[in-house]
Amino acid sequence: MVSIASKVPTRRGPRLREMRRGGKRTLTAYLFLAPALILFLVFVLRPTLGLFGLSLFEWNGVSPTREFVGFDNYGRLFEDRLFWKALGNNLLFVLLLVTFNLVVGLITASALARATRGRLIYQLIFFLPVVQASIVTALVWEWIYQPGGLINSFLKTIGLGAFTKGWLGDPNTALPALALAAAWSGFGLAVVLFLAGIQGIDRSLYDAAKVDGANVRQTFFAVTIPQLRPVITVVLLLEMIGAFQAFDIIWATTRGGPVNSTEVLATYMFKRGFTEGQYGYGAAIAVTFMVIVLVAAVISIILRERGED
Amino acid sequence: MASSSILPARRTRAIERGPRPRKLTGRRRTTRGLLYFYLTVVAAFSIIPLLLAWSTAFKDRAQVVTNPYGPPIPPALDNLETAWISGRFSEYFLNSVIISVVSVLAMIVVAPLAGYGLARMRFWGRRVVIVVLLIGLTIPITAIILPLYTVMRDFGLLNGYGSVIIAHVAIGAPFFAFIMRAFFLRLPPELEDAARVDGCSEIRVFWNVMLPLVRPGVLTVALLEFLWSWNNLILPLVFLTTDSVRTLPVGMLLLTGRFTTDYGLLSSSVLILSAPVVVLFLLFQRNFVEGLASGSVKG
Repeated sequence: MVSIASKVPTRRGPRLREMRRGGKRTLTAYLFLAPALILFLVFVLRPTLGLFGLSLFEWNGVSPTREFVGFDNYGRLFEDRLFWKALGNNLLFVLLLVTFNLVVGLITASALARATRGRLIYQLIFFLPVVQASIVTALVWEWIYQPGGLINSFLKTIGLGAFTKGWLGDPNTALPALALAAAWSGFGLAVVLFLAGIQGIDRSLYDAAKVDGANVRQTFFAVTIPQLRPVITVVLLLEMIGAFQAFDIIWATTRGGPVNSTEVLATYMFKRGFTEGQYGYGAAIAVTFMVIVLVAAVISIILRERGED
Repeated sequence: MASSSILPARRTRAIERGPRPRKLTGRRRTTRGLLYFYLTVVAAFSIIPLLLAWSTAFKDRAQVVTNPYGPPIPPALDNLETAWISGRFSEYFLNSVIISVVSVLAMIVVAPLAGYGLARMRFWGRRVVIVVLLIGLTIPITAIILPLYTVMRDFGLLNGYGSVIIAHVAIGAPFFAFIMRAFFLRLPPELEDAARVDGCSEIRVFWNVMLPLVRPGVLTVALLEFLWSWNNLILPLVFLTTDSVRTLPVGMLLLTGRFTTDYGLLSSSVLILSAPVVVLFLLFQRNFVEGLASGSVKG
């Protein structure tokens, strides 16, 4: 597996006697790094810092003047019922998605590890949704959830016609339905990561369990799960961070509705910022959103580094 | 059975289970049957939504109604034609190709250079650069889309391919630089030392000695950058508001408003968008899976 961030070197800089050569080396190194660094500084870091600045103003995005309001936008955020609703929805969305992919993903991966034939074909099939655009996921599932869509046709066929509904039109089912669609697109990645982890587990542990007379379920909980702990943590955080940023799939289907039941931070920020032209307030939402993602991501990087040592 | 997973095992000493017993006993056969039944149900969950869309793309209007879930027999190209011509998907397709290909070309220059610098050079400020890029990995695009929009507007780049391409490369740069760095770190240090002793300049060491050895890494970067820029919705949605420069995902988003219930057309657009990606994925599975497994958190 490619490591994203290997160890940061402990040596602080070139030693004194190397200083003269070090200067030239530093220059060469920065020439190599220049294209990436310049693009990153101008188009990612500067906007990120600008975002904090923006959140302290009231601005419609167009007018040449902007009014400095300090932390008023954050105060307003704190009292905004819709913001809390969006945050709650966002967390519920993450919880549903991650639970599905963790539980079903783990079971599927361990089933796959026992399957002797067709393992690669199954993996390919599970992974196909992962490479699909989020707009594809959104539109295909919106269609499946339609009143006349696949799910309702299926329910009618098996005699459960009473349960048919427009799944995305009902405030009670819209968010779980979208979480399932999003889980579908991340499921294959979880399976493949879990399977790689399971195949890395020392076989003798399974043999020992077998000798002790453990059945499949007992082996799963006594050997597979504890041995997979580091992999589970990484997958969990990866999926959590991805799910928390959900925007496309919601924007393309419900746009936060019905009655704000699928509003998440990204869609709420987009609405306030772009649709309503409240740049400052949108920025304050974005800052909050980013801080949450950053904290989760930093934790995941630390855990990943520790797992690889 | 040398390799039974798309991904190599985490610890490489995964010992395959012993030879399968020649004859399965009754109970084992039931277990095995259940195992494959379960896997097939989950596979159906993964593939049916895609098959539904891909097959509907080949049905004509009547078939969509009379035969919504069956195979498209006989296949009809009406919907694909409508999407391609009157739905302007040929234009969107071309715009998507231009934006994705240029993004890939830019990225396979930017990422190996940066990855090499980070992996093989000792320089002043290295730690700071690494930490800054690590933080950059985690910044969500949606969060910075407001200020990024104003930056693009100030540079006069809105409604041009450049805005989306630059954003694709800038936002992806830290991630792909770290991927390339990991590939460069695997190479033995003796290589470049030998080349340096021979008097090669740093850029020649990079170009003639090191770069040819990390070709698989460059391929992975190219594939993932293509996947990401091809599928991306929010950047072209915000930066490109003129119809003539729009990309496929944005075109599809508009489709939901324009033709709400025309599923033949919708399916055709799904097919047009996903076909290139699926072909590339089937050709280079391992690169995709390894790259995506390494921790992309970008939507």
